[in-house]
Amino acid sequence: MAPIEVTELTKEYGDVRANDAVTFSVKPGEVFGFLGPNGAGKSTTIRMLLGLLTPTAGTATVLGADIHDESALIDAKRRIGYLPAHLGFPPTATGEAVLEYHASMKGDERLDELLDIFTPPIERPIREYSTGNKRMLGLIQAFMHDPDLVIMDEPTSGLDPLKQEEFNGFIRAERDRGMTVFLSSHVLSEVRRVCDRVGIIRGGELVELEDIETLLRQGGKRVRVTTTDDTGALLSTLDGVVDVQPFPDGVQFIYTGEYNALLRTLARHDVREIDIGEPPLEDVFIHYYGQEDTSSESGTGSDA
Amino acid sequence: MLETARYEAGRRVRGSVVLSIAVSCYSGFIIWYFTVLEGVAIEDVFEDLPPALLEAFGVQDLATIEGFLGAQIYNFVWLLGLGLYFAYVAGGTIANDIESERMDLLLSFPISRSRLIAEKCLSLFVPLVVVNVVVGTVIYLFASFVGESIDPLHLLLVHLLSLPYLLVCVGIGLVCSVVADRAAIAERAAVGVVFVLYLVESVVGGADEYDWIQYFSPTHYYEPTPLLIDGTYDLIDSGILLVSFVGLLLLSQILFHRRDI
Repeated sequence: MAPIEVTELTKEYGDVRANDAVTFSVKPGEVFGFLGPNGAGKSTTIRMLLGLLTPTAGTATVLGADIHDESALIDAKRRIGYLPAHLGFPPTATGEAVLEYHASMKGDERLDELLDIFTPPIERPIREYSTGNKRMLGLIQAFMHDPDLVIMDEPTSGLDPLKQEEFNGFIRAERDRGMTVFLSSHVLSEVRRVCDRVGIIRGGELVELEDIETLLRQGGKRVRVTTTDDTGALLSTLDGVVDVQPFPDGVQFIYTGEYNALLRTLARHDVREIDIGEPPLEDVFIHYYGQEDTSSESGTGSDA
Repeated sequence: MLETARYEAGRRVRGSVVLSIAVSCYSGFIIWYFTVLEGVAIEDVFEDLPPALLEAFGVQDLATIEGFLGAQIYNFVWLLGLGLYFAYVAGGTIANDIESERMDLLLSFPISRSRLIAEKCLSLFVPLVVVNVVVGTVIYLFASFVGESIDPLHLLLVHLLSLPYLLVCVGIGLVCSVVADRAAIAERAAVGVVFVLYLVESVVGGADEYDWIQYFSPTHYYEPTPLLIDGTYDLIDSGILLVSFVGLLLLSQILFHRRDI
């Protein structure tokens, strides 16, 4: 049985469709990345999975529990960890008090172990916490009861690169122990490092559902070519070219078309040097999203 | 069991203590003031007031300590002050958590929404009980200290029967809390409703034609001054208040269930 099974899940706010018939399933023991820019509808899906929002149409099951069935979902929540995008811990409480409360609600089998990995100053009140400390406290509460499924909304935002790396290692280790992880992100490098499969959501619609390998294969190739003549003419006759970046004597682009067409076109030019390789996932993303969103997405790629 | 109630109650202890100290200080001042006024014909001061106002302020037998406390403390602090306070605090319970996005975490717990709101409501018994026990005791001891005697049974009844009234104020706050989008609006709405109900009862109480309106006000079912003076009360009144509270709590649970977070 799939830990998460989403069927035609739709959420409408008036005329706005935050989720439009989203369908996918997460397999046991995998790390599933839910990828999309801010406002794509990632959090809406997650909030419906946890019963915070009622779907307009469609349904989903989480650890076998129908999200429309409150008591079944409550039972399932004993085995679910959740890290929301915004952590609203009470500012006056200490981290210790918060964890104590969480422990009384769901258990704390792994608390000590987690406190060794993530190190927020738990004896201090939360209002003194940095964003990173808050996030670490959030991660601890999500995993402390040794859940079977962990759902995380933008888990590494606010963590410094070192802690991010520790987090990635931690997630991989958890997956190897058999835990299923569902995480949303708009940071591609994060997803590439830890996820086995990826669903890409845009404008409330799931536009692609692939494992990382396929995603890279279908995302086209990065072509870097140096010629002695005009490269502009080269590209104008070719279909399936995106993300063109000219450099002196040459051009780099993502090519999603057919190889033969590329080779025929190249043969008409005086090619001095050519390199065809795997594109970074950031560029794959651009392929799915189109050029208009590249400004914001290339920004997120750089902080990887 | 009751983990949320226990946690929330723990967070309310400090506020309850501060509230009790503040009300105790005010009560101490009023008792001292009564001793200063002894020999002065206080009732003469009020005799020119229209009967509706006397009724509104719960003025009755001001020359006795019971009448004086009834008007100065119970009618003002318990009916109005604490009524508004508990409506305000209850107004913030759910709305604050939704606004600060803390509700996301709370609802990821294996607990139903109905239970969450019920346990949060239960935690309000901490200030309810603490302020009644502390201030009641302080008033009794201080009155004895200055040589005045209050019937302890009457005093106990005034405090005990204030609980159903204050619970209705809590219920009004809870309903506002699950309906409003922002905490500040929920709190203001709750305070506004309780205040208007207090005024309505005071104003229409004297007008025969519209006196049925007063039955909608919870203040109609809890009258501390006569209770303190001669221990008269109607259990049916407290029953009406308790049923109203349960109704409001159920309403808030239903509304909370249907709401998107």
